[in-house]
Amino acid sequence: MTEKIKLYDDSKCTACRGCQLACKQWNALAASQTENRGTYQNPPSLNANTFLLIHYQDYVDKEGNVKWLFRKEACMHCTDAACVTVCPSGALHYNKATGTVGLDHDKCIGCKECVAACPFEIPRWDAATDKVYKCDMCESRIMNNMEPACVKACPTGALSWGPKEKMLKIAAKRVEKLGGNATTYGDKYVKGTHFMYVLKENPAIYADIHKDPSVPLSVTLWKGLLKPLSLLAAGGVLGGAFLHYMIHGPKYPDLPKDENTEGGK
Amino acid sequence: MQKGYVQVTDSYERILHWMLAISCLLLCVTGLGMMFQTFNFIGYLFGGLKSLKLVHNFTGLVFAASLILVIRMWWKEAGVFVFPEDLEWIKVAGGYLWHVDKVPETGKYNPGQKLFFLTVVGAGILMIITGLIMWFPTALPAGLVRWMYPLHALGFVAIFAFFFIHLYLGTIGNPGTVPAMLTGWMDRAVLKKQHPGWLKEMEHEGKLVVYGEEKKSGAHGHHA
Ligand code: SF4
Ligand code: SF4
Ligand code: SF4
Repeated sequence: MTEKIKLYDDSKCTACRGCQLACKQWNALAASQTENRGTYQNPPSLNANTFLLIHYQDYVDKEGNVKWLFRKEACMHCTDAACVTVCPSGALHYNKATGTVGLDHDKCIGCKECVAACPFEIPRWDAATDKVYKCDMCESRIMNNMEPACVKACPTGALSWGPKEKMLKIAAKRVEKLGGNATTYGDKYVKGTHFMYVLKENPAIYADIHKDPSVPLSVTLWKGLLKPLSLLAAGGVLGGAFLHYMIHGPKYPDLPKDENTEGGK
Repeated sequence: MQKGYVQVTDSYERILHWMLAISCLLLCVTGLGMMFQTFNFIGYLFGGLKSLKLVHNFTGLVFAASLILVIRMWWKEAGVFVFPEDLEWIKVAGGYLWHVDKVPETGKYNPGQKLFFLTVVGAGILMIITGLIMWFPTALPAGLVRWMYPLHALGFVAIFAFFFIHLYLGTIGNPGTVPAMLTGWMDRAVLKKQHPGWLKEMEHEGKLVVYGEEKKSGAHGHHA
């Protein structure tokens, strides 16, 4: 497996939303009717037919300068993906060739377990199909040696796609070049994500970003501890019952020698 | 039915017991099919994993209704401990673990059975609440919904293990007890060994229904 990473560099992004549209086009996703809410960010959040969203933010820094901040939100393709861990049907799976996280809609049973588990709040459930939707890193393209549709569409070089080691190096170099508060985001969480950012500002100031995402404790307790325990406990009980039967023996009723004998013995 | 057998449960009790038992078993099996991907094949028996999910959810409703009726029916007899008899019984573990010359007499249900009943009630309620939230997870914040899954699994750990304890103690572990939940009539000798206190009380109050004997007034009944 050659792990691959998609890198988003917000310092190069013009928020043209070419990627957002290319995503809709490749995945044949319909548009939804939305309202003008006084921002270019549209639709307001990810949904069952929007796997990728450019966030727009007005930011006033300490010197009083107004800045645009853009951020591309989509599935982060975690190495330790909580959604894959909880998915009961195998619909969510690791792509063995790239380490990204794919989603097989034929298998999805609409249980929404992934919705509650994802530390980045990515999967969206659609009532009409009773299935869940998210970015699958254009599995149909990357498996045929093409780059994801969003990367292909990006006119500025803000998006790029390539082998993990190479992309990590590029990101580190870019951060160094930008200086100041610039940093990478994604590589430090959930054993590294296959979609990562170079951010020109401190991540904490980006709206709706997840500050310290990690696989939820509830997921680890559930799948790591209680799931095996359920079989162990039942097995232990069966073994215990067997031993009890062999060693102590069952409680046979006393044969009624004397009708007036007190009970209990 | 043999002469001298004693009626220990009425048909209402037995029907509810089996409604609870069968729905519980079906929930365990269908739940396992979703909990472990290795057991996904269980889904085929139900026409796919998606139908398995639906069977699980709706069986949950049957289980919930049965559990509520069962609590109403058995709470007085099996839900509350009576001291000091129950404590005495607990001290010798009911004679199940080591040899005890004389097991203290208890009411109709001994503390072991009561503990079992209370566990089923407690874990059952936990399963119903967490299960309903898991059915409609988008109604509540994800941070809260997340915890329903490990709680549901915790309830399963308890119920699944207790299921086998119950199966053992209700069958080969205590020979002669199965008819209590099948026909409702039990051998008096078994009752003397297992539930002497109850037998004496019923005899004393003249409520005992014995096969072949004329029914006395105030016959056995549980309808709450
Ligand atoms: S971001 Fe969420 S949906 Fe995407 S791989 Fe990670 S856990 Fe799964
Ligand atoms: S909703 Fe679908 S993708 Fe999500 S956990 Fe359930 S089966 Fe898997
Ligand atoms: S296509 Fe490139 S420049 Fe345009 S919004 Fe997407 S990432 Fe930014």
